[in-house]
Amino acid sequence: MSQFKDTMVKISENEFYKKWLRIAWPYLTGAILLSLFQIVTLATTGNPWGVSGVFANWGAWIYEAFGGNVDKWYYFSSPGAQTTLNNGFINDSGTWRNIGIILGALLAVLLASQFKLKKLKSTKQVIAAVLGGTLMGYGARIAFGCNIGALFSGIASLSLSGWVFGAAMFIGAVIGSKLLVKFFM
Amino acid sequence: MGDTEKIETVTGRSARGSSRRKPKNSQLPYAIVLIALVGALSWFLDQRDNGTFWLLLTGLAFGYILQRSRFCFTASMRDPYLTGSTTVTRAVLVAFAITTIGFTAIKYGYFINGLPIPGMSYVVPISFATIAGAILFGIGMVIAGGCASGTLMRFGEGFQMQFLSLIFFIIGSLWGAHDFGWWKYHFISKGKSIFLPDYFGWLGAVVLQLFIIFLLYIAAEKYQEVKSNH
Amino acid sequence: MKEVILDCFGEACPIPLVKAQNKIKELEIGDILIVQIDHSCAMKNVPDWAREDGHNVEVEEIDDGEWEVIIEKVK
Repeated sequence: MSQFKDTMVKISENEFYKKWLRIAWPYLTGAILLSLFQIVTLATTGNPWGVSGVFANWGAWIYEAFGGNVDKWYYFSSPGAQTTLNNGFINDSGTWRNIGIILGALLAVLLASQFKLKKLKSTKQVIAAVLGGTLMGYGARIAFGCNIGALFSGIASLSLSGWVFGAAMFIGAVIGSKLLVKFFM
Repeated sequence: MGDTEKIETVTGRSARGSSRRKPKNSQLPYAIVLIALVGALSWFLDQRDNGTFWLLLTGLAFGYILQRSRFCFTASMRDPYLTGSTTVTRAVLVAFAITTIGFTAIKYGYFINGLPIPGMSYVVPISFATIAGAILFGIGMVIAGGCASGTLMRFGEGFQMQFLSLIFFIIGSLWGAHDFGWWKYHFISKGKSIFLPDYFGWLGAVVLQLFIIFLLYIAAEKYQEVKSNH
Repeated sequence: MKEVILDCFGEACPIPLVKAQNKIKELEIGDILIVQIDHSCAMKNVPDWAREDGHNVEVEEIDDGEWEVIIEKVK
């Protein structure tokens, strides 16, 4: 077993391994590859990449598991939304894409041998996560998406809404930065 | 960017900091186990024949690319103000430009053949709700240290904090969905969807958009030069 | 010449970078700032910033997913 471990350590110190699996790519490489998969996604599924719409469905499934009912909510009243909810998460492709993002990131850090569990270290972090998460969730729902669906996919779809979203989000990011420096550092 | 690691190997055994250095280990075995599990999962989804396995695979690609390139949409909006750097902002602009060209090619192909244009559900009405929602989202992502895709990615990287913000992202989404009818009635229904080719033609829309992205790129570059000279 | 350690373990972006930027202003030329990081994004943007700013930078991986960015203030 220790021989196996030694081999693995040896591989992780190999220059070829470092080049292909470890060293961070330039941002530009990320930009090109993300664009490629955006285009592939539109070509194969008929829709651009979106992330946060799925979270509303997850919320609805969890809420219904606790005995709630969202059928009367305007947001879920369309036939499309009802079908998605009734089919369950196992048939929801957006759900699997989001799970894929989590697993893909995990795979990238494990292959680079850089995984570390980062525990919550202060109440400040708890408050920041709770507040930030809630604001993002609420904001994304009323603005038709997050920085992927509303901004990246919106702009690339030649929709003016993407530019408006981006400008307003920039204002939000400046306000958020001020709050972060003042309260969460 | 590769020089980060090169320097590490040169100075890896330097006196400074070496006391805190722990024995080398490798996580590759875990990676191999994960690959096997993901393979089994995509096989299971493929058996169901509902297209979900393909979305799982593109998700894996998005997650891997985001992590490996440290791509961060939050940083692209936050860094210009907070740290004066626009490196990530410029990368995001490049992504916008490339994707615009690819998307338009696909859409135009459908249009010229008289078919319904795909992805038009992403062209949404512009109203006060867009602005309010985007501002709330912008504040939230900076405080929580990651946007929607960034939160998923950092959860995968092992951040408990982003796991917590993911839970509240879901709760916030449910809350937003609950209030959506109100926003729709008061604002969204009065807004207008604007698809640029309807106003400038296909070629005009693409050229105009690429030109705007180009101007923003130049502005971002100049901004960083000015900022870093202080 | 002194050596200052900045513990940023468990902190997400942009906190390590902002803390490092603030700390380096307090230091004298020739001082060493060691930023301890376990966030893979900060492991990229902290050294990027420090190099851009003209300091001497070394990155050392001290454990799986833990780094020390060693910055020597030169101006």
